[in-house]
Amino acid sequence: MPKQISTPIPEETVRALQVGDTVEISGYILCGRDAVLPKLVALIEAGEQLPEDLRGQVIFHTAVSPAGVGPTSSNKLEIESSIEPLSKAGVKLHLGKGALRPETVAALERENAVYAVIPPVTALLGEKTLETRCAAFPELGMEALYMILADRYPAIIAAAHGRSIYD
Amino acid sequence: MTETGQADVASRVSEALVTAGSTFRPDKKEAYRQAIRREQNPRAKWVLETILENAEAAEKNRAPLCDDTGIPHLLLEVGPDRCITGQLLSQIRQGVAEGLRKLPGRPMGIMGNDIQRLDQSGGLNPDSAGVEPTPLLIRETPENVLRLHILMFGGGPAIRAKTYRVFHRHSAQTVSDEIVSWATEAVKQLGCTPCTLAVGVGRSHFEASALMLQAQADGRYDRQTDMEKEITSRVNAADIGPLGLHGGTSVLATFLKVGPQRASGVRIVCLRPACCFEPRIATVDL
Repeated sequence: MPKQISTPIPEETVRALQVGDTVEISGYILCGRDAVLPKLVALIEAGEQLPEDLRGQVIFHTAVSPAGVGPTSSNKLEIESSIEPLSKAGVKLHLGKGALRPETVAALERENAVYAVIPPVTALLGEKTLETRCAAFPELGMEALYMILADRYPAIIAAAHGRSIYD
Repeated sequence: MTETGQADVASRVSEALVTAGSTFRPDKKEAYRQAIRREQNPRAKWVLETILENAEAAEKNRAPLCDDTGIPHLLLEVGPDRCITGQLLSQIRQGVAEGLRKLPGRPMGIMGNDIQRLDQSGGLNPDSAGVEPTPLLIRETPENVLRLHILMFGGGPAIRAKTYRVFHRHSAQTVSDEIVSWATEAVKQLGCTPCTLAVGVGRSHFEASALMLQAQADGRYDRQTDMEKEITSRVNAADIGPLGLHGGTSVLATFLKVGPQRASGVRIVCLRPACCFEPRIATVDL
């Protein structure tokens, strides 16, 4: 049976997650990818006000368009380099696909955050997405920062506590 | 062609594009069912079942299989007594645009001049139909038809695809070994596995790429040559698995097309590790 995870995710929930666990994620989650994540990191580094509270949050590495949502590769430079600073700012679960570098897996451990992979099942996710709104940087179109309401998104924990499922 | 006939062509092309973006062909569904039965790794089995469930939902709703709805690639087959007119090409283009709006395709066309399209500073075209199809490929067929294949190519496989020369040393095995080596690396990087390996072998990069496209139009999961089976089996031995989570199903099948060759020590190979949804293809007679 998959473990049920709801946002905002408490610290103890993250501590209990293990590599290989199947999970279902529900609640309001953020969506962003190559174009917007570096902008979010720049706001954090500049100490500016963030468009959303990141504590306990999930960041789903996806565009949001009329075609739906689906994971892009999390190991693309601009996405993977956002994982450590966003975890420091409170993000607890990064959701995408593909293997991460050992340095990123170690950074997740330091910040008590995890990485999960989600199958690219856009049609199913469409049935499990209850709300969608643009949260920031609307000029980026489908690559803007979005907030969506997820209802039991299926995923597998792929990196946690210094371990990776890809090892 | 009458006005009614023109509208009919555009409408059929539009419907075919929606089918390509939302439907697994029967042999592909069966390939997934067989893979689920064979797969020993429980996580891999879960991924395969979820992908098949997604395909059923997409087909039922006529909705995109994947949010990267892809770039339309067109292959037109022309029978002995059929002709292509500029009007027909215009209707095909109109049908593609209508199909992209209907699917709906992801609005990911980049606007602007050469530099702006390179650095993405020209902004995104908000119209799904702003994603233009690639140049049309035409081939002859003995059947007296005008038959259009529509294939939707996603971005992930394009990143990991490779077209390069192979020194064959007068051995087909050398070419096969090189394809396995490239494919194993590409499949590890892809993320959206299991793959279908689409391979063209030609005399130039253009020809190899065109053959790779035709391999996807002609390939069938239930009809595999010995060479195709060998490539699939050797890449599967690498234990990459669905979504890279390990397991025996990294590749569902290989679609290989070998074209004419020249007297030379070199073959040009184009390999595309088509993702778990590809080939996203539909065929329509115009």
